[in-house]
Amino acid sequence: MKKALKWILRIVVALVVVGFVCFLYFIPPFYIAPPEAFSKPEADAPPSLANITDPAERALAEHGKYIVSTVGCSACHTPIGSKGPTYEKYLAGGLKLSGKVDGAFVSRNLTPDTKVGLGRRTDDQVLRVFRTGLLPEGREALHRVMPWYALSAMTEEDRHAVLAYLRHLTPVSQHIPDPDFKAPMADTASAEEFYPSDYGIAQ
Amino acid sequence: MRSKSYRFVLPTIVVAAFIGATFLLCQQALSAPPDSGSGAASSSAGKQIYESHCAYCHGLAGKGDGIAAAYLSPRPRDFTAGKFKFRSTESGSIPTDDDLLKTISEGLHSTAMPDWKTFISSDSIKLVIGYVKTFSARFANEKPRPFIVGSEPTMTPSRLATGAEVFQRLQCQSCHGVGGTGVGATASELFDDWGNPETPPKLTEPWTFRGGSSPADIYLRFRTGIDGTPMPSYISSATDAEMWDAAFYVTSLGRTPAWKMNADNLKKFYASQDSDARSNPIKRGKYLVDTHLCASCHSTFNADCTMKDGMAFAGGVKIDLYPFGVFYTQNLTSDKETGLGNFTDAEIKRAITTGVTKANGRMLPFPMPWPSYAMLSDEDLNAIVAYLRTLPPVYNKIPPPEHLNIVSYMWGKFQMLILGKVFPGKFYSGNYGISNPSAGKSISDASKGVQK
Repeated sequence: MKKALKWILRIVVALVVVGFVCFLYFIPPFYIAPPEAFSKPEADAPPSLANITDPAERALAEHGKYIVSTVGCSACHTPIGSKGPTYEKYLAGGLKLSGKVDGAFVSRNLTPDTKVGLGRRTDDQVLRVFRTGLLPEGREALHRVMPWYALSAMTEEDRHAVLAYLRHLTPVSQHIPDPDFKAPMADTASAEEFYPSDYGIAQ
Repeated sequence: MRSKSYRFVLPTIVVAAFIGATFLLCQQALSAPPDSGSGAASSSAGKQIYESHCAYCHGLAGKGDGIAAAYLSPRPRDFTAGKFKFRSTESGSIPTDDDLLKTISEGLHSTAMPDWKTFISSDSIKLVIGYVKTFSARFANEKPRPFIVGSEPTMTPSRLATGAEVFQRLQCQSCHGVGGTGVGATASELFDDWGNPETPPKLTEPWTFRGGSSPADIYLRFRTGIDGTPMPSYISSATDAEMWDAAFYVTSLGRTPAWKMNADNLKKFYASQDSDARSNPIKRGKYLVDTHLCASCHSTFNADCTMKDGMAFAGGVKIDLYPFGVFYTQNLTSDKETGLGNFTDAEIKRAITTGVTKANGRMLPFPMPWPSYAMLSDEDLNAIVAYLRTLPPVYNKIPPPEHLNIVSYMWGKFQMLILGKVFPGKFYSGNYGISNPSAGKSISDASKGVQK
């Protein structure tokens, strides 16, 4: 009786250990889950624009939504939590990128929050960043950190569409810390380091 | 005694401060002459501003080869040739300081050149102009031949009609297309003096006119040409009045931009854009590849973040995604052996939209953002494939991914998932592919030998 119990206990412990090892091995299940498991949440994340009353504004924003979704802005501007991208904070910023000579930058909050997001910026300021990489504070965004060269290659009309869409994102009160120009690299042999996490500060 | 010394010391300090301040102000005024710019002090101040604001695109030596240059179209101006596009001076002449001041202050529409007046005082811009002029000996040896624009005539319907005729006679449509739609017969074969492909602007989109879209701006382009580009001066083939007429005609071609259209027109505009894309998938594909960040990871870059010459889209960037392994970006050029030359269209589309590689491997959803590319329409995907097929082949044999041994992998996963440690994805400069075909072949032959 006691022996049987002991064996059962052993089996349970063994199952737990094997289960834990499998969990470690397979989570996140990049190699077993179908690709749709990752592309569907990404496709579902953008907000609906159905409630924009001006039909011209809605059509422009819809066009911008297609561009923003397919360019992959979300890859750097939607923070990563323990279970992957935090889609409740869609495009609210918070990932960290370090450059060898430039310091560490946290991706910015693109939602229209008026205190910490893009709601603080004028249309001209945002369009200038898209076209020229020149940030509202007069500093050039580094093209390998924020690839503004791609937005610069867009037509003016597409840049306006992107802006129209960003103005209709769900505002998220996520404060983004200033760049740290003296931050050291974890590995000085690499050129850039990308930290998949959330360095934003919820307000 | 004490009060006496105070009475002496205080006024002395005031006088000293006054003299000192005057001296400093004079020195500043002397060292910053508004128009000469050749003084050593102003040149060094200009140099400092240039290096912190301009060199990122235009390069430290003004050759138009800054860190971001290879990523940009149009390419940043190379100042060493002393050739400037937007001038109020005769064709072939160097620009006036005021021309440069206008370009730097206002920026160039629809290019990466910002309106610096928002950030830098005009005095500082003048210092930069002084420094920019040191890059070419032309500014020391030549004098600009300014052209003064006469008063603008009044636009009348008859002037517009003459303008349309002049436009025809001067063959404007051969580059700019009939009605200025930007699809002239020679439009795809134009290059600037630096060998970069030149796209003639669509005259229907005045917001893209880099030098401005007022009748006077356009008249100046007719009168003085755009140096370094195929746009000549028409001084010998049209009269002054005719050039004004043509300028008025060009302004009349402008349409409403999408962001100011009403819903019906916008719908029609997007429909016509879609049909243009269908009839010219390679052009649409180039636009999508240029705007969808492909170059960030698929073009090898140097340690200073410039793009490696001749390696655009040839892959070979090393990305270490501990604990998942080390990955090398795919060569996207049409090379048969090492690029996409041997991929079927379906294989390219599958990789872009599902992250499944040719060898049936699976890509992580980052940094290749295939979950985002999965939202591309079928037509856009076909356009991307059509364009990638046209990339000239570059031999660059990409190594297979390297995976960690099981113990290191599990230890990394344990730290990541249980201890909550954030491991950075690391990007490395330099090419990790084998770009020398003979070396590449000998290695693949050697590995085949081992397998035998």
